[in-house]
Amino acid sequence: MYEETGCFDPNSMAEDAVQENKELELQNQLSFNMDNSNNTNHLMQHDPNQSNWDTSVQVLTYQRRHDHIDFNHISQDDQQHCNINVSSSFSPTTPDLLNLLHLPRCTASNSSISFANPNQTPSVYDPLFHLNLPPQPPLFRELFQSIPHGYSLQNSLFGDERDTIGGADLEFSREIACIGRGGREAGGGKIKKHFATERQRREQLNDKYKALRSLVPNPTKTDRASVVGDAIDYIKELLRTLNELKLLVEKKRCGRERSKRHKTEDDGAGDVESCNMKPLGDPDQSYNYGSLRSSWLQRKSTDTEVDVRIIDDEVTIKLIQRKKIDCLLFISKVLDHLQLDLHHVAGGHIGDYYSFLFNTKILEGSSVYAGAVANKLIEVMDRQYAAVPPTSSY
Amino acid sequence: MEFLGSASDASCITRARRRQAYDDSTEFKSKNLHAERRRRQKLSDRLLTLRSLVPMITNMNKATIIEDAITYVEVLQRDVKILSDQLLEMESSSEEKEKPIKIDDQIDNADDQEMKKNGIEEDVEVTKINGKKLWMKIVFEKKRGRFTKLLEAMTYLGFEMTDTNVTTYKGVILVSASVERTYEDTLEVQETRELILQIIRSI
Repeated sequence: MYEETGCFDPNSMAEDAVQENKELELQNQLSFNMDNSNNTNHLMQHDPNQSNWDTSVQVLTYQRRHDHIDFNHISQDDQQHCNINVSSSFSPTTPDLLNLLHLPRCTASNSSISFANPNQTPSVYDPLFHLNLPPQPPLFRELFQSIPHGYSLQNSLFGDERDTIGGADLEFSREIACIGRGGREAGGGKIKKHFATERQRREQLNDKYKALRSLVPNPTKTDRASVVGDAIDYIKELLRTLNELKLLVEKKRCGRERSKRHKTEDDGAGDVESCNMKPLGDPDQSYNYGSLRSSWLQRKSTDTEVDVRIIDDEVTIKLIQRKKIDCLLFISKVLDHLQLDLHHVAGGHIGDYYSFLFNTKILEGSSVYAGAVANKLIEVMDRQYAAVPPTSSY
Repeated sequence: MEFLGSASDASCITRARRRQAYDDSTEFKSKNLHAERRRRQKLSDRLLTLRSLVPMITNMNKATIIEDAITYVEVLQRDVKILSDQLLEMESSSEEKEKPIKIDDQIDNADDQEMKKNGIEEDVEVTKINGKKLWMKIVFEKKRGRFTKLLEAMTYLGFEMTDTNVTTYKGVILVSASVERTYEDTLEVQETRELILQIIRSI
């Protein structure tokens, strides 16, 4: 399709996989996207797989469109090298910036543009003129202008240029180096993302949605709206859990302090009473006793659903399980273990499910939080399911 | 040509394709338009909510909202882990271990007195419903772990509670359940009653 001439010919890098690797290397060397031979695909809609459209190239050509006079200021002999005429078939073989950039080339058959003979006066023709590209930052122009002529494709290339290129250009070139699939920064980094193609942007966005989904405990549907919805619910749940835990830790700490204080006073006689007492004068306590502890969360596993609500010291557990296992016993054991006093249970067989509602009270001295209850229950239920085949009943 | 006019990036290309699609099926266009609009509205509403929850650090475009949400969730998860570990650590300290035992005695004593006060007796009633199904009503004194032991015994004997209702009142537990016998041998109603009474007294 496209002929690349010049000392470096990306097309000679053969197949895609190899090409991509090598291009990435070169990319690092030059910090230009070397994938330009594929860029034209974008224009041409030839190969949807290779779509690394280099916006830097667009920048370049756009700038050239406007600043062709500047361009012409580059020494005359280089006009031939740095020829804007993208018709590669006519370009000279000398390594020049344009060839290295692998500007998009259009075959004559598809283009209504007529290519001027490069050997003639370097007309500043911009094949991308029709595209009406949005104005790009002038960084690239400086970059382009500052690059000396007739360099060769070597590692030292960019090293040399670094000295000449201004700070802004360095940043820009760093951005260019980030182009490509590997350019995704783990959230929180300050490197600007610069996408070569819209497709890359879309893919990165999809990856982010997937990552968000993977964090949430009970993901249901995969579509974007429900991922965000689940995330919202999960964040709220985490905030509730945090509040609950803070309250518990506070209570524990103050309880300890109180008992220590009383120990020193009454030689250990007042331990039990002290923890039942609610001293109003203590500034630490006022917050705890004024607010009602409340927490709620849901957990689902393959065959079990657990809904735990805690208000003050009452824990309400709703449990639904799918398989026909007599779970009352195990749940009761778990509740005993967690120091929850069973006050009321209702439930039974509903169709394929066993559904139960437990009203329990937290025994004094136990600091159990909603997450712990739910997780423990699910863990026990899953263990039971795993153990079912060998031991059906006692 | 087409490719030139259709612009430089995928969005423009899809716009062109969409234009084509619209021309082809103007009827479907209106149905889809509403549904699509609603879908997009739903997503943007939710993103707005997410945005409001997260203490955002960077820009306000879609990608960064999601990204910041991811970091925020991770931060929250980490905090929860830290706090819960702290709590566990505090629980395992020796002071805490003493208290629950003392309190147990307190509660149990209180219940004992209540039951005797109210004159409620331990009781078992058993009725046959059909075939292997029985209905039981069990009243016994409430003490920590007694219910669990009752359940253990019943499972051991092959009784499975299909529909259960348990309440507690004044130190007494009332269990009313429809029970199925899973073993082949059927016990008579009286025998079952005796059995259960024995269980209660022994636990």
